[in-house]
Amino acid sequence: MGNEALSAKNPLRALGLESDGTDERRSMGLVMARAGLGKTAILVQFALDCMLLGNKVLHVSIGESVDKTRSWYDDLLSCLTEGEKLKDIPAIMKNRMIMTFKESSFSNAMFEERLNDLVAQDIYVPDCLIIDGYDFEENDYAALAEFKKFMKSKGLKMVWFSAVSHREDTRKSAEGVPAPCHEVDDLFENVLLIKPTEDSITLDIIKCDSCGISPGTQLKLDPSTMLIQKV
Amino acid sequence: MSRDLSKVRNIGISAHIDSGKTTLTERILFYTNRIHAIHEVRGKDGVGAKMDSMELEKERGITIQSAATYCTWKDIDINIIDTPGHVDFTVEVERALRVLDGAVLVLCSVGGVQSQSITVNRQMTRYNVPRIAFVNKCDRTGANPMKVTQQLRDKLDLNAHMLQMPIGLENDLVGMVDLVEMKAVYYEGDNGEKIRITDIPADMVDEAEEKRAALLEEVSMFSDDLMEALLEEGEIDTQLIYDAIRKGTLALEFTPVFMGSAYKNKGVQSLLDAVEKYLPCPTDVKNTALDLKNNEEEFQVTNNPADPLIMLAFKLEDGRYGQLTYIRTYQGELNKGDTVFNSRTGKKVKIGRLCRMHSDEMEEIEYCGSGDIVALFGVDCASGDTFTDDRISCSMDSMHIPEPVISLAVIPVDNKAQINMSKALNRFTKEDPTFKTFVDHETGETIISGMGELHLEVYIERMKREYKAEVTVGAPQVAYRETITQRADFDYTHKKQTGGSGQFGRVAGYLEPLEEGEYEFVDNIVGGAIPREFISSCDKGFQKSVEKGSLCGSAITGVRVVINDGAFHAVDSSDVAFQLASIGGFKQGYMKAGPVIMEPIMKVAVEGPSEFQGAVMGSLNQRRGMIIGTMEEGTYTVVEAEVPLSEMFGYSTVLRSLTQGKAEFTMEFATFKPVPKGVGEELIKKYQQEKDKSN
Ligand SMILES: Nc1nc2c(ncn2[C@@H]2O[C@H](COP(=O)(O)OP(=O)(O)O)[C@@H](O)[C@H]2O)c(=O)[nH]1
Ligand SMILES: [Mg+2]
Repeated sequence: MGNEALSAKNPLRALGLESDGTDERRSMGLVMARAGLGKTAILVQFALDCMLLGNKVLHVSIGESVDKTRSWYDDLLSCLTEGEKLKDIPAIMKNRMIMTFKESSFSNAMFEERLNDLVAQDIYVPDCLIIDGYDFEENDYAALAEFKKFMKSKGLKMVWFSAVSHREDTRKSAEGVPAPCHEVDDLFENVLLIKPTEDSITLDIIKCDSCGISPGTQLKLDPSTMLIQKV
Repeated sequence: MSRDLSKVRNIGISAHIDSGKTTLTERILFYTNRIHAIHEVRGKDGVGAKMDSMELEKERGITIQSAATYCTWKDIDINIIDTPGHVDFTVEVERALRVLDGAVLVLCSVGGVQSQSITVNRQMTRYNVPRIAFVNKCDRTGANPMKVTQQLRDKLDLNAHMLQMPIGLENDLVGMVDLVEMKAVYYEGDNGEKIRITDIPADMVDEAEEKRAALLEEVSMFSDDLMEALLEEGEIDTQLIYDAIRKGTLALEFTPVFMGSAYKNKGVQSLLDAVEKYLPCPTDVKNTALDLKNNEEEFQVTNNPADPLIMLAFKLEDGRYGQLTYIRTYQGELNKGDTVFNSRTGKKVKIGRLCRMHSDEMEEIEYCGSGDIVALFGVDCASGDTFTDDRISCSMDSMHIPEPVISLAVIPVDNKAQINMSKALNRFTKEDPTFKTFVDHETGETIISGMGELHLEVYIERMKREYKAEVTVGAPQVAYRETITQRADFDYTHKKQTGGSGQFGRVAGYLEPLEEGEYEFVDNIVGGAIPREFISSCDKGFQKSVEKGSLCGSAITGVRVVINDGAFHAVDSSDVAFQLASIGGFKQGYMKAGPVIMEPIMKVAVEGPSEFQGAVMGSLNQRRGMIIGTMEEGTYTVVEAEVPLSEMFGYSTVLRSLTQGKAEFTMEFATFKPVPKGVGEELIKKYQQEKDKSN
C-alpha cells in the first residue's frame, strides 16, 4: 500500500483538516478528555496524518516513556493499515521524533531551549508539534500565549495539545470548553472533546476554525481501536 | 525419581558494569554455602570471585561467560545463569535470557538506572522475563534507593515498589525494614551471616506504616482476596500479600525492589528469600518448541518428567574440565547413559557424564530432571542445538541470531600460531553463532566477524591467552551486504571450444528479492531443458555468485534465483559448464535487478547530563544518525538514535571530549539499511580501485 492511498483512507480526512502545509493557516488545537479516555490515540492519529504527508512531527510526551509512545504509533498504524505491511515504514518513521520529559522536568522555557537546539543545529526541524500531558493548571494565559508566539516563530504549521478535564470541575467557557482550559480557549483554533456515551465514544467538535466542520458535530470513535470513524 | 519443580529457580543476574553483579553473585554463593571464604572482586588476595573464572574477564573486570552456577538456598535449588552485561555480546545475553525464568536487576544506589540497564531491561521485556530489582551499594555516599526506584519507573517503565526501607544509609547502613512482615532485619557477624529480627525502630514506625499501606494498595490490584481483606481493615494475613506480589511480578506488572550492600554483606539473604518468593519456577513460564514432524507447528513444552525429553544446549565451554555443554531441559528427564538425538544434525549421542557446576568445582550427578540446568561431558554440538529422545522430533524455537556487523583480518605470526588459531576459531564459532570466520579467497587472509569491536577484541585476546595463537590484526571493517530491489531476467550461454572437448551450458530464469532469508534456489525447469544431474551445478554456481557482490565485494543476501529454461549438449555439457553458465547468468541478472549496498545500523543510546543534550544530538546527527527520541529526567537525558555502524568508530573518544567524560553510550545492532547514494558510490569506487590494484 502506498502512502497516498493510506492517507486518503485516513479517517482524519473526515475532519477536513489541511495539514499538508500548502496553506498559510497555522493552527493550535486541543484534545480534551477525562483521564484514561485515549487522548494520546487521537493525537497520534493527527501526527500520523502529518507524517504520511511528508511533514516532520515532534511528539513531546510529558510523563510517558519513548517506548510507550512509540508503541502508540505502531498500534495505530497497524490499525489504519489493517495489518497490511507498509512498504516505506522506515521512511515514514523518519518523520517522527519523540521527546519525553518527566513531569517535574518540563517547563515552557526548557522546551523552548530544546527546540531551539534542534532547529539551530538543523538536527530536526519539525512541521507539526504534539504536546501530550501539558499541565494547564500550572500555566496561565500569559505563559501559554507566549508559548504560542514562540511556536509560531519556529514555523510550526500545526500544534496539538492534550488536556485532562475532571468530572467534578464543571467550569466552562462561553464556547463550551471545559476547565482547566476554559480561560485559554481563545488561543486555540480547534478544540475537540472525547466523550464516553452509553455504548460508544464520541469526538465532539467544540470549535474548529481551521477545518470544514461546524461546531457541535459529533464524530464517532471506534471504541476498540480509537480510530476516528468516517462520517 | 521426580522433583518438585516449584522448588527450582533458574535466574539471571544482570547489571550495568560495576554495579556489583560479581560481588553479589559471590556473596550469594557464600551464603548458600558454596564458597567458604569471601574474596573481594579484584581483591588483594589475588583470588578473585568465583563466577568470573576466565582470566581475561578478571583483567577486564567484565563478565563474558554465561556459565550456569548451581546453589541451594533453604530448600530451593537455584541455577544462576551469569548474563553478560555488555551489549556487544547480544547473542550471549539473548541465549541466557532464553533459558532463565526470572532475573535480578542489580542497580547501583548512586548511579541508578544507567544505559546498560535500559538495554538489558528491554531485552528482558522482549523475552517476558519477570524480574526483581536489587539496589546495591547502599553503603556508598550519596546512596538513594528511593531515587533509584523512581528511575525504574520513569526510565524503565517498571511498576517498581520498595518492599524494604533501609535502616541507616551510606556508612550507617545496618539493616532493612521488611514492609511485608513489618519487622526490622539486621545483618550481623563478620560476614553478615547472623540475621537478627526485631521490632521496627520507633522513629521509623510511622513512615513504615505509611509505606506499607501504599504498597498494599498497589499490590491489592493483583488479588481480590487481599483487596477484600484491606476493606475489612483487620489484621492481614501476610501470605495474601506474598501471593499478590508474586502474581504481579510473574505477570510483569509489578517489580519488587530490594536493597542492600553486597560488599558490606547487607541484605543478600533477604534477596535470596525474594528469589524464592517472587521469581517464577519452571512451570510458571511458558516455553514453546517447534514440531519438526508437523510443519514446525509451535507447541508448549510440558515440564512433565514422564513426557519425551526436550533439552536445549545453550552454552559450550572449553575449560579446565575439558569440553562442557550446558543444557536446559524443558520436559522429560535425562539419565546418565541415555542416548539422545540432535535435532539439527540427526546425530545420536550417548550421554556419558552429567554434572552440576558450582562455579569452579563440579559435582557428578546421575540424573537431570525437567526444568533443570546441568552440564554434559563430551557432547559435540553447536550452541543453540536441541536434543530429544527418540519419541519426539522438535526444536526449541530458533533463536533470533543477528548478522555480524563488523569484521577484521587476523594474521598468524608463524606456523604454530596458524595451527592454534584454527583450533581457537573452530571452537569460538561453535560457541557463539554471531562469531563467524572465513578465508577471503582473493587475499588469502582469515577474516573474523562479529557484533562489535569489543566482541572481536575479546576473542582475539582469548586466542592469544587460551590457545597461544599469536596474531596480528587488521583494522576493523564494517560488514556491508549487497541485495537486489527488483526482479530481473537472465539468459546466459556458456560456450567454449578448445581443441577436442568443449564446454556448453545455457541457463535462463530470473532473480527476485527475497523477503526473509539470505538465498533461495528454485528449479522450475520442465521437460528436461537442463538435465537433472546439472541442476545442483547451477545451484552451486549461484551460491558462489552470492558470496561476493560486484558492487563492493560484500556478500549478497535476500535473493531468490529461479531457473526455468536452459539447453545442454550431449557431449560438451558438464558440471563445470553449468556452474560457469550460472555464474554468468547471475552476473547478467544482478546488474539489472537494482542492486544496492546495505549497511548495519546500530541502535545507540547516549546518556548524560541534560546540558550536553544539544551537543550529543549534534554529534549523532553528524554521523548520519536518526534521532528517535530523547528522555529527559531531571538533570539527566538519554538520547536514542539509529546510527550507521561505519560512523561510530572512535565515538567514545568524541563523546568523552564533548561532554567532559560525563556521558556514556551503548549500542546494539538494529537492522541493515541501504546506504545513501554518496556513500554507496564511495564504496564502489574504493572496491574498484582495490580490484584494479590487485590485478
Ligand atoms: N561500596 C560498595 N562497593 C561495592 C558493592 N558491591 C560491589 N562493590 C564494588 O564495586 C566494584 C565493582 O563490583 P563488581 O562486583 O565487579 O561489579 P560488576 O561489574 O557488576 O560485576 C568493585 O570494586 C566492588 O568491590 C557495594 O555494595 N558497596
Ligand atoms: Mg563482574
